Amino acid sequence: MEHKDIYILGIESSCDETAASVVKNGREVLSNIISSQIAIHRKYGGVVPEIASRKHIEHILPVIDAALEDAQVSLEQIDAVAVTYGPGLVGALLVGLSAAKSLAWAAGKPLIGVNHLEGHVFANFLTDKNLEPPFLALVVSGGHTALLKVTGYNSFEMLGQTRDDAAGEAFDKIARVMGMPYPGGPEIEKLAQEGNPKAIDFPRAMLDDPFQFSFSGMKSAVINYLHNEEQARRPVNRADVAASFQEAVTDVLVQKSVLAIKATGLKEIVLAGGVSANRALQNKLAAAAEKAGARLVHPTKILCTDNAVMIACRGYYMYQAGVVSPWNLNAVPALKLG
Amino acid sequence: MLTLALDTATGVCTVGLVRGGHVLAEYDIATGLTHSEGLMPQMDQMFARTGIKKEEIDRIAVSIGPGSFTGLRIGLAAAEAMAYAWQCGICGVNTLEAMAYNIPVEGVVLAPVLDAQKGNFYTAFYTWKAGSLLELQPVEMVDADTLLQQLQAQGKPVLLLGECKKLLERELPMGISVAPEQVRMPKASSVALAAEGQEALTGEGVFSLRPYYIRKSEAEELWEKRHPKA
Repeated sequence: MEHKDIYILGIESSCDETAASVVKNGREVLSNIISSQIAIHRKYGGVVPEIASRKHIEHILPVIDAALEDAQVSLEQIDAVAVTYGPGLVGALLVGLSAAKSLAWAAGKPLIGVNHLEGHVFANFLTDKNLEPPFLALVVSGGHTALLKVTGYNSFEMLGQTRDDAAGEAFDKIARVMGMPYPGGPEIEKLAQEGNPKAIDFPRAMLDDPFQFSFSGMKSAVINYLHNEEQARRPVNRADVAASFQEAVTDVLVQKSVLAIKATGLKEIVLAGGVSANRALQNKLAAAAEKAGARLVHPTKILCTDNAVMIACRGYYMYQAGVVSPWNLNAVPALKLG
Repeated sequence: MLTLALDTATGVCTVGLVRGGHVLAEYDIATGLTHSEGLMPQMDQMFARTGIKKEEIDRIAVSIGPGSFTGLRIGLAAAEAMAYAWQCGICGVNTLEAMAYNIPVEGVVLAPVLDAQKGNFYTAFYTWKAGSLLELQPVEMVDADTLLQQLQAQGKPVLLLGECKKLLERELPMGISVAPEQVRMPKASSVALAAEGQEALTGEGVFSLRPYYIRKSEAEELWEKRHPKA
């Protein structure tokens, strides 16, 4: 039987990027359009939900049009429309979701609601064409920190999550306290390159549960350190603070990942989410995983942050499994992983 | 000309089909179901029931505000996506003006109001004359006292439409009454009729339509207050 190519249109608007993409057969990126709002939100020190929603509605259709145009694929040729329905900012999610539902309905195509976090994990399928489940995933973003066992293309098992702050949230908070512009993660990483990671010994919460995380204590310790030094009028080596904080966060992430590799015996671990762009984390985890007998896969830089390629890729595997969402699909801002 | 109309600016989700001034179908839901959940099933059911094919649609008419910011975006995103998929024209219609089409009757001032939060209302005043709708006062945001003063100054009987629940908590001055329940809230058929005189946006023009928010976001207002020189 002749093999039919499957084209999925992916749409993403969960936070501050309006994105659309066409992916062929789940792994071949035909287009990747991202309209970023980072510059708009910078003066507010973070993403303002209402402003994000207002930008999404301006860009959503032009971005979809550009994605089809770039891919040289017509709406008629698309097999399904995949869209992020959570987690994220509800007003932002609703713009992409409403456009996707209406587009799919009007064009007579199936709609597939995608979990944004599963999308981040699936970004790795586009980086490494040979990657196949089962594998481990360390999901690290501004809203999530989790260790996940990907047992199949459509089956996940949660090993552990953060009890309080997400790792990315801690990065953003420390950056803000240190007066760095939004988004803070990349700023900390840049500054950390000039600092000594062993200069200050910030606490690492390892917890009883081997796969659970906690970053709020570490975050408070860094803030307290900065306040104490300021009160004592001692000059602070900002690069050392950034490097030592980053060292503490990555130590915890890497140690727990190694425990998970040993406990599951899996041979591959993937990084997913915005913090996966952090080079210090990539390097440390790659070395530690190798020592534990596993290989690290992480997305290319453009696929670490929010994009619609990963949504289309996730959508493809759901399409293959026969998953179709109903027309009354609603946004789920606190959608869980696994 | 066959127009598909929708209005999600308020708590009512309304979709309709109008051909040459005749209302073929209208489907209104006001049970508090979110527009995100309700809009597409409502569309789907209306097409199934009327037997009208999607490709027969000549243009989309969508209510673009004022109204609930999120509601407006749900309606506009859906309308734009349909116009894009079907390569048909789209008309953005003022929500308040469309409501005036609910009561095409001369001799009264029509005052559609929408809750703008914090004790304020979006409003505009209209009257019908010789089959045409005249705007007596353009869209603005006012508090309840100002609104009632403005209405009393009209010197004609006034009919309030829209989200007037908070106004009804006080005593309305003489000559000001509330439109009957069945024509008080937005109706897709009125949105379609209000769009009839308009030129539709086509091609890339479809992307140029924006919600009519009136107000800036709170974060922008606050930022401007703190940075008066910027």
